[in-house]
Amino acid sequence: MTENGYAVRLEGVTKRFGKHTAVSEFDLEVPRGIIYGLLGPNGSGKTTTIRMIMGILLPDEGSVTLFGQDPDVTRRTKVGYLPEERGVYRKMKCLEFVTFLAEIRGVPRAEGRRRALEWLERLGLPEWGDRRVEDLSKGMQQKIQFIGTVIHEPELLILDEPFSGLDPINQDVLEEIVRDFRAKGTTILFSTHLMDQAERLCERVCLISKSRKVIDADMKELKEAERGGIVAVEFEGPDGWIAGPEVERVEAVNGGFHLMLTAGADHQAILRRGVSAGAMILRFDLVEPRLHDIFVRYAGADASGDAGTPTAGAGRTNVGDA
Amino acid sequence: MWRNVWAVIRREYIQRVRTKSFVFGTIAVPLIMIMMIAIPVVIAERSEDGERRIVVVDRTGVLLERLESELVELGWTVEPEVWAADVEDRLRQRAEEGEILGFLMLDDETLGQGVATFQTTSRPTPVRGLTLRGAITRAAMEYRLEGSGGAESMLSGGELIVEMLSDTPGVNPDDDGPQFAVAYAGAMILYMVILIYSVAVMRATLEEKTSRIVEVIVASMKPWHLLLGKIIGVGAVSLTQISIWILAGTLAVAAGIPTLMSARPDLTGLVDLQAALPGFGMLTLFAGFFVAGFFMYSGIYAAVGAMCNTDEEANQAQLPVVMLLVGPIIMVMPVIQDPSATWATVASLFPLFSPILMWARIAGGGVPAWQIALSFVLMAFAIVAIAWVAGRIYRVGILMTGTLPSLPELWRWVRAA
Repeated sequence: MTENGYAVRLEGVTKRFGKHTAVSEFDLEVPRGIIYGLLGPNGSGKTTTIRMIMGILLPDEGSVTLFGQDPDVTRRTKVGYLPEERGVYRKMKCLEFVTFLAEIRGVPRAEGRRRALEWLERLGLPEWGDRRVEDLSKGMQQKIQFIGTVIHEPELLILDEPFSGLDPINQDVLEEIVRDFRAKGTTILFSTHLMDQAERLCERVCLISKSRKVIDADMKELKEAERGGIVAVEFEGPDGWIAGPEVERVEAVNGGFHLMLTAGADHQAILRRGVSAGAMILRFDLVEPRLHDIFVRYAGADASGDAGTPTAGAGRTNVGDA
Repeated sequence: MWRNVWAVIRREYIQRVRTKSFVFGTIAVPLIMIMMIAIPVVIAERSEDGERRIVVVDRTGVLLERLESELVELGWTVEPEVWAADVEDRLRQRAEEGEILGFLMLDDETLGQGVATFQTTSRPTPVRGLTLRGAITRAAMEYRLEGSGGAESMLSGGELIVEMLSDTPGVNPDDDGPQFAVAYAGAMILYMVILIYSVAVMRATLEEKTSRIVEVIVASMKPWHLLLGKIIGVGAVSLTQISIWILAGTLAVAAGIPTLMSARPDLTGLVDLQAALPGFGMLTLFAGFFVAGFFMYSGIYAAVGAMCNTDEEANQAQLPVVMLLVGPIIMVMPVIQDPSATWATVASLFPLFSPILMWARIAGGGVPAWQIALSFVLMAFAIVAIAWVAGRIYRVGILMTGTLPSLPELWRWVRAA
């Protein structure tokens, strides 16, 4: 992939606030035209990373490029940015507010207005255009803000926790819009701690924990690689055998158990142990891991101080220092 | 670049002009000003209603009888006096001792051109002065018409020379009613409008910062352009308001004075009052001082707004800036009384003081043109310097949260940006 193939590229980016290092030696390459998820627990450095991409914070070390260029040039018209802390001009009318945001990014006013009306219609707010932003509910304000983010049809959408604060129905609406943009070739980088959304939407994910990148992988490859990491079992009889050196954690799941294996563990050994222990095994399944589990496994392990082990073949994989 | 600056200007302008406070301010301020001027006039008018004795020295022998009733009507007790060489000295002494309010000298010139001299310790209110002058002119005119002489020379309305007796405390012998009012009221309005609109820039900056909308905006445009658009936008709103005030005032004077003149033809001095009102040149200067002052102070206020996080912080941080505006206001009175003093000249050339003090000196009269030009050149430099420093503080400050920066920290912002 050429340099220009990346919509966003961070190289060795570090940001410190006083003694606290918010982001440490962070590399990120977001190819054009995909949906990219930036995942991580609260306080892991997601927002700081996004704020550096947007030029709101300057990195102490490292560099940021957008579309292979100095971000100051491309950012102004090619990027749509939805910050985590939502801001609006409360006294403005919704339609004017959105049109204004289009105008400062170079969309002529009449065109901006036309698009704004379309979007209000699409998001079910057609009668709110002439109302002040402050008259809207929080969820509706968030929709207005989202319209403001995409009104200039940016090539890159950077959304910081776009789904938080929305009800399930509106989360679905937003998801659909994000997919539409993806279909039109827009690159979408969004941060979230909602794993379900990320799992449904992302083609590639980056997991940050404690200021460092833990996983950066293609979603499919990641799941492949993590497959075999979880075994679903149901049985009758003694249960002592399910614990063992291969099993990191046991989770009770409707009538049975999920065994989270340590990386590279041999699940056949567990099965043999179960049989010899005299348990009647009803089910022994390798399950498709949920992103949630992968997340907990890496972020949780990292957070508790255990050294996570890199998984073979899972794209670029980094492990935080123990 | 200009497209998004223009978008900011437009947004700022439309949003503000639409607010109730703009509409209210545009209507209420002239009303308050009129009341501020009218109430002291009414009170002064009342206070003169008490027993007041004036002496009239009528060297013509024909005017006093025609005048007396009107003077009494004005609330004065009239004491006739025969002319003698030392009469003026004697009367001046009596006036200074407070025994009489003043004395009116009528002579052949009064009869010929309507010119009379009124020496007094207490300046008559404009209305009373005009009434007195009208009465004298009419008396002289009546006499001339009764006799053979024509009265053409009187058509200009005559003249009442009011001489203030020297030791009267608190009154400047040179001060001229309308001009003083223009200097003082103009300075007060400049102070008010510059302060109100600069604070508006600060509040808007702070609001954008605390609501975090600024993050979205500066992702799409340079902070400097946002600042520029905001200042120009708010400035345009203020100029709109001032223009409406001036237009309303001009209309009121243009329509009001002729109406008043036809209703009270005896108030011939209204013509002079009209002439003393600020003309086009003065209004242009006023606008110039406002614009220059607004650009200087709004830049400073924007920087203050950008470095604060809450209204309380901003209120505290702006105090030193307010002092820069209050300082010249304290100096306005002394400057009007002695506009050519060295200290007044120097203070009025200090750019941050110029809008108020230079205006007061000019309106007070007698400022050389080069000083006015110099003050504008200095203000232009100040605007550039302030924009440079404030723009840098603004750029860092609007995206920064946390405690109020210290001065050394501010300096780092200026250098880092």
